[in-house]
Amino acid sequence: MSSADWKNYKPVLIPEIKDLHKIDVYEKNGGYEALKQVLTDKKKFDGPKSVIDEVKAANIRGRGGAGFNAGLKWSFMPPADGGPRYLACNGDESEPGTFKDRKIFEYNPHIFIEGALIAAYAMQITSIYVYIRGEYIDYVKMMEKAVQDAYDKGYIGKDILGSGFNVEFHVTYGAGAYICGEETSMLESIEGKRGYPRVKPPFPAQKGLWGRPTTINNIETLSCVPLVIKNGASWFSEIGAKNHPGPILYGISGHVNRPGVYELPSGVPVHDLINEVAGGMRNGKKLKAIIPGGSSTPVLRADQLEGVSMDSDSLREAGSMLGTAGLVVMDEDTDMVDVLWRIAHFYHHESCGQCTPCRDGTGWLEKILLKIKNGDGEVKDLDLLLDITTQMEGRTICALADAAAWPVRHTITRFRDEFEARCKKSVHAMA
Amino acid sequence: MPEVFIDGKRFEYEGEQRLLQFILDNGMEIPFFCYHPSMSAPANCRQCMVKIGQPKKDRETGEFELDENGERKIVWFPKLQTACNTMIADGMVVLTQETDELVERAQKDTLEFILANHPLDCPICDQAGECPLQIQTYKYGPEGSRFEVKKVHKPKRVQLGPRVILDAERCINCTRCVRFTDEISKSHQLTIMQRGDKNYPVTAPGREFDDAYSLNTVDICPVGALTSADFRFKARVWEMNQTPSIDISNGKGCNIDLWTRDNLILRITPRYNEAVNDHWMPDIGREAYKLFNENRVQRPAQKLDDEQINSSWNNAFETLAEKIESTDKKEILFIGSPHASVEENYSLMTLANLLGAKTPVFTTNIIEGYGDGFLLDDDQAPNTNGCRLLGLEEKDAKSLKKEVKSAKLIVLLNDNLIDREVLEAGDLNDKFVAVFATNRTETSKVANILIPVTTAAEHAASYVNVDKRIQRTFPAKETKYTDRRLDIEMSEGRLDRYGTSFDNWVTEDNKVDCIPFWNFVSQLGERLGLKIELRNGREILDEISNKIPAFSGVSYEEMDVQSGISLGGKKETVKS
Repeated sequence: MSSADWKNYKPVLIPEIKDLHKIDVYEKNGGYEALKQVLTDKKKFDGPKSVIDEVKAANIRGRGGAGFNAGLKWSFMPPADGGPRYLACNGDESEPGTFKDRKIFEYNPHIFIEGALIAAYAMQITSIYVYIRGEYIDYVKMMEKAVQDAYDKGYIGKDILGSGFNVEFHVTYGAGAYICGEETSMLESIEGKRGYPRVKPPFPAQKGLWGRPTTINNIETLSCVPLVIKNGASWFSEIGAKNHPGPILYGISGHVNRPGVYELPSGVPVHDLINEVAGGMRNGKKLKAIIPGGSSTPVLRADQLEGVSMDSDSLREAGSMLGTAGLVVMDEDTDMVDVLWRIAHFYHHESCGQCTPCRDGTGWLEKILLKIKNGDGEVKDLDLLLDITTQMEGRTICALADAAAWPVRHTITRFRDEFEARCKKSVHAMA
Repeated sequence: MPEVFIDGKRFEYEGEQRLLQFILDNGMEIPFFCYHPSMSAPANCRQCMVKIGQPKKDRETGEFELDENGERKIVWFPKLQTACNTMIADGMVVLTQETDELVERAQKDTLEFILANHPLDCPICDQAGECPLQIQTYKYGPEGSRFEVKKVHKPKRVQLGPRVILDAERCINCTRCVRFTDEISKSHQLTIMQRGDKNYPVTAPGREFDDAYSLNTVDICPVGALTSADFRFKARVWEMNQTPSIDISNGKGCNIDLWTRDNLILRITPRYNEAVNDHWMPDIGREAYKLFNENRVQRPAQKLDDEQINSSWNNAFETLAEKIESTDKKEILFIGSPHASVEENYSLMTLANLLGAKTPVFTTNIIEGYGDGFLLDDDQAPNTNGCRLLGLEEKDAKSLKKEVKSAKLIVLLNDNLIDREVLEAGDLNDKFVAVFATNRTETSKVANILIPVTTAAEHAASYVNVDKRIQRTFPAKETKYTDRRLDIEMSEGRLDRYGTSFDNWVTEDNKVDCIPFWNFVSQLGERLGLKIELRNGREILDEISNKIPAFSGVSYEEMDVQSGISLGGKKETVKS
């Protein structure tokens, strides 16, 4: 199915089936078939490696924002040595503008559980942890119920489906820190420690949870896995954009008539998403800008969106990133200074404080932006802001400093006039 | 041998090494805050950024690929790397702030960030003068500040525990203190609270930071965030003299520095010795500085009508000489001390031998179960093994009492036997007791003649610790009879070296009226017609080394070169 043909797309991740979150309903609709195939159909899948190969061929690009090929990531796990190995499923979903995984927890938890079990089998994992953000306490309870049901049915536990494969499944949750969505920080949090990102190397595949090999995948990424197993890699890789195939949960928010999560093929044109999927701009206003994939991705002006579609290549050309496909739409009345200050406030509040450039840089950015917002800024402050972002980028352990710096850099460069207009007039004559 | 190129210079190396430590070990410099050689490297201060590359190798031949000039092709890391947690690899090419502009700028940028929320209250900060942040800002920091918005406010003067006070605004979040309690003292008492620029180290709610090693966090804090409750605001660092010494409050013999001003010891800090205490020492050893200043025995005293009254040195010599002459040598008991140095105990032995008296005895001061397996040992005395190796007779409390009973004249070298309940005051009734003491105690009270002697802070002398390692002290403060400018053992302070006549600090205050025990013995010998030549610690130890096989090859020169010498016995290791 091509991206342009999105109108004929039938959702597969969160299909419209009543009570799909119940395990019986899920089973009736072909649920856990993929797991059965992987574990018992020796003709189709000859051992874990063949599963990894299939997933690699499908080119599921990580849906958590980095877009790394999931099968390739799985192949980085060292050979099993008899000790514990972990799969950590990242459901922290804290990036502003991102609210897609909650739909899976709520409407189709078993597709994720099944995907995680297949991944566990492929990598010879002994324990699965799913880490859900603390604010999603309702979904934590739903997941706990779903996991218990799967235990009761024998999909999780010892000797699953008579295959001799054993795995444990734990549901854990955070306490309200954005940084715990960073993969190594999440590992610390799961271990019960303060959420400080770890220095890499060693990478989690070598030393992850409790110093053991660990793979970390996003919830949506793992939910794609049963689809790949059931329908084949080529089916999956033909959905949507070529370099970033598969179904995507678009989270659309902001000044549109119908904000929400929509499952569509990747690579849907941005204008189609805003004007048709989300029902057009609210109150008939004009589009001013979008943030395509969560607050850390660079903002795009309306005039930069001509012909741009929601796939990684197209967005990179336009000067931004796909991120988590959480699209924030802003209309002509939006004050970009306010928007940027609010984003900067978020990253200041959420910096863990471990690395100097991020700890003190995020606060500095916010304070200068507040000054500009209040009309006390000067034009030199804009250049200082750009300087600070340069000083932060690429100098820290994790990517939070980058995530905090990019929006500042790009919003200022792309809306410089608006920022200058808010600054105090210089008392000195300009040369 | 594998090689590494730093700023264009070639170095060979062996084994696994952290790049930052290697650079420091080779006499070069890179600014850093969070790194500490004895702890893990979290790479969180981001100050030690360098540019790192690896030579490109041909996959098939394994040969280095060369460019048109015949130089190795280098693949650079896309981002700057922190040197502290980078392990050196063969062929690695490193550019520091000396040769790379980007590195220089990155270090400057990080310092700008650190200083953004730092209060810059250096004029009233205890850390000033020994502050890595001050030093590195001076060397690598930006010229001015572009931070024109409000700084973060955090708690100040927080009493974290009985001995440590926190100023959270000064904290730069290097986590050294947290890692110290996690990795070294293993009390796990500290953690970082809050997030981002609001975070700072604290204890769990309702808990005190009462770790037996808590003051080490003050030493390793790279700013003035953690200060010693006892020492803060007492002195500026540059006013003090720093003298190497040995902790005499425990048998472990931690290597320490004594910090003096105006002939008072103001604080004690640990001195690095890999074989004994690494960079650390217990808090209790630091409190021992008071022993050098307070409650000292000053000038000799003699008991008349049950009251000790001040006397003169001459009288002390004459009285004791007379007493010795008039007593049957079999009835003189010489009691040595594990709290006194090797040289002092040897002097006592020499005197006893020449008089034809019995060999001096001593009693250990060991509290079973007191030790913690780290830097606190059961042994409360610094020189128990020294007494044993010299050949003093070890007596338990019971047999010492018996010896005391049959003696008429007792010569006791600096050991508080009554307070530590080896003897009772009643045991010494009807005896003539000569006590050589540094401090006033219950034992000094019973002395018929009380003679002040120098402490470890006033003489150069050696001590043999529980692991049979002999280590020595240097005189740190003057007595009435010494002059820091004439005593070559005394360390020079900043003011000695660079002071003008206006701020030169020679003072007559706080000099204690006492002499080294061996000087007393020598002069006493003269009056007794004995040939005793014991002039100073250095010469006495040379004599010991010639006479007693256990000490052969030991001298002050060797001890200074090797930071102490092991006299055999068990292998010394530091838990870390």
